Amino acid sequence: MAVQSPPLTALYCYGVTWADAAEAQRSGGLAGKSVEPVRFEQLAALTSEAPEGKIRARRADLMCHFDVLSRAFERGTVIPLRFGIVLEDVVEDFLRPRHDELVRLLRELDGRVELRVTAHYREEAILAEIVRENERVARLRGESSQAQLIELGKLVAGELRARTDHDARAILDRLRKLALDQEVDEEPIEHQVLRASFLVERKKVPAFDKAMEDLASGQAGRIDFKYVGPLPPHSFVGLEAG
Amino acid sequence: MAIATRGTASNYLQRAPSPSGLADVVDLILDKGLVIDAYIRIAVIGIELITIDARIVIASVDTYLRFAEQVNRLDLTQTEAAGLAELRGDNDQRGGKEKSQGMMEGAKDKASDAKKGLKERVGRD
Repeated sequence: MAVQSPPLTALYCYGVTWADAAEAQRSGGLAGKSVEPVRFEQLAALTSEAPEGKIRARRADLMCHFDVLSRAFERGTVIPLRFGIVLEDVVEDFLRPRHDELVRLLRELDGRVELRVTAHYREEAILAEIVRENERVARLRGESSQAQLIELGKLVAGELRARTDHDARAILDRLRKLALDQEVDEEPIEHQVLRASFLVERKKVPAFDKAMEDLASGQAGRIDFKYVGPLPPHSFVGLEAG
Repeated sequence: MAIATRGTASNYLQRAPSPSGLADVVDLILDKGLVIDAYIRIAVIGIELITIDARIVIASVDTYLRFAEQVNRLDLTQTEAAGLAELRGDNDQRGGKEKSQGMMEGAKDKASDAKKGLKERVGRD
């Protein structure tokens, strides 16, 4: 990652929309700057004057980037850029050379939204389940030698992994049918069952809501779900390298 | 930002129009989205610390010992009673709140542990 101060003409870039849906956002950008569309043919990049020096990825800044995209998303399809991208010449470095690809991607994403699902075990509930269902774990409970503690912990870790695999698959199987695409974050977080995004036709969102309600009520007390969206398709944008 | 909570005290499904927790915001805005060539990615102080917080290495002796401790601490009669109460739907609102507060604090502890670990590593390098 290049670390440098941007030149004065540089623009911070939030995302790309259709030119005819793009709109300025007064003082809605990073550091209170206005968001202005830079148009090229059918496309518009949402930009604001790049803040001086380095940007801190404070929560408020990340949310600001997100909010600019959300407001644009209310008006039409958006290709979100990752946080922290500054371009010296938005048209020549980005919109012109990538025009056809960006148009294709925008068309593909028209009428589609991202829904983000995370699921966590309730720690006490899942551990109690493991103690009830694994005799060896139940027997080792309360033993205190270092070797026994490590064996107990290893068994619990194995049981957790097996349950996570099983439950994650069941959730994915249910939701996959309603989605055009999905992205599962593989990096494990303790007691997390699943962290995934789904690309869904806007008209299918109510069906997805219903599926989430069913999944969550079926696992009430054991797995807690967080369900965020509809979001701009952050997880479903990519261009060919080059 | 309005967060609609479905369900009763069990709080099993949280619905929100936009990400709220720091980890969720980081996941979406820093880790996803289109990346292009010919750009200057402004380096940001603090990203490493934010992203590492909740990511815990699963297979280590420390983790095993922690799991063992958690299991040994479990009060099975209590979790069974809580489970039954939830099934009957007679958990009161306060009970649910206390539980989720406990979870939040747990997460904060883990995050600060991870940060401490990172700082120590950085310090050694």
